[in-house]
Amino acid sequence: MTVTEAQPISALLDPGTVQSIADEVWPSLVGDGEAFVPVPVPPSAELVSAWVDIIGPWTGSVVLTCAPATAEALTESVLMTRPPTVVDDEDVADALGELANVLGGNIKSVLPGESRLGLPQIGSAPSRGRLDDVCALVGQWRGNYLTITVQGAAPAPHAERNEVPQL
Amino acid sequence: MKILVTDDSRVMRQIVIRTLRQAGYDDHDIIQAENGQEAFDLVGSEQPDLVLSDWNMPEMTGIECLEALRASGSQVPFGFVTSEGSPEMREKAANAGAIFLIAKPFNEDTFKDVLDGVIS
Repeated sequence: MTVTEAQPISALLDPGTVQSIADEVWPSLVGDGEAFVPVPVPPSAELVSAWVDIIGPWTGSVVLTCAPATAEALTESVLMTRPPTVVDDEDVADALGELANVLGGNIKSVLPGESRLGLPQIGSAPSRGRLDDVCALVGQWRGNYLTITVQGAAPAPHAERNEVPQL
Repeated sequence: MKILVTDDSRVMRQIVIRTLRQAGYDDHDIIQAENGQEAFDLVGSEQPDLVLSDWNMPEMTGIECLEALRASGSQVPFGFVTSEGSPEMREKAANAGAIFLIAKPFNEDTFKDVLDGVIS
């Protein structure tokens, strides 16, 4: 059997394309005049991530990562809440997940071939696959750091080396 | 006019409803569903004049809901509001009987362009 190795995301997508998608998503979802501004600085240590999986010729995840306080501020902006209204954890998971979902849907549309998009998930970012199968964009929104990472899926343990005969 | 907004994300339902109002469609009854199955049931019980639906949802997807509605004989006007707008998905939506597909992100101008001929 011949296995054709899938192209890494770095050959299919560049940070400029991710930035152009973020340029459309931020004013639409986060609010009029809001922007994702690219910066060369990594985000802070305490992080929360929301992501959607893309399954197809290229398989991996589109991950939006930021500090918990940034996720809360994004949610307040998306929902246009004003004090004393506060957002709860469910709102934050929903809003961050939907941002990842819209970013993921648009990134999926610029990848070759037919793919399937998973449902949004939130938590610690999924494991990465090959080192070159990553396209990451670090940016700021209202001075808060965020990262959009398009990353290949980690291979299943020993999946390619399983030499146990099938019964 | 009664409009059924279907999305598993409460945040996105809120954004769709807000955008409808910003686009000038602010004097219509809005009802909501969290997935395709709930939307299918509400079409039967509430008789909406238009369904705006996400595509990718748990329980029953938007396209499964549309196919089930058409199979049951319902001809309720149905459009997608979804994060994926590839030509393949637009074709699949049209073949199933959808009258439009709005890709996220959108704004009030997108809604006006698509909905002006649909919402009276």
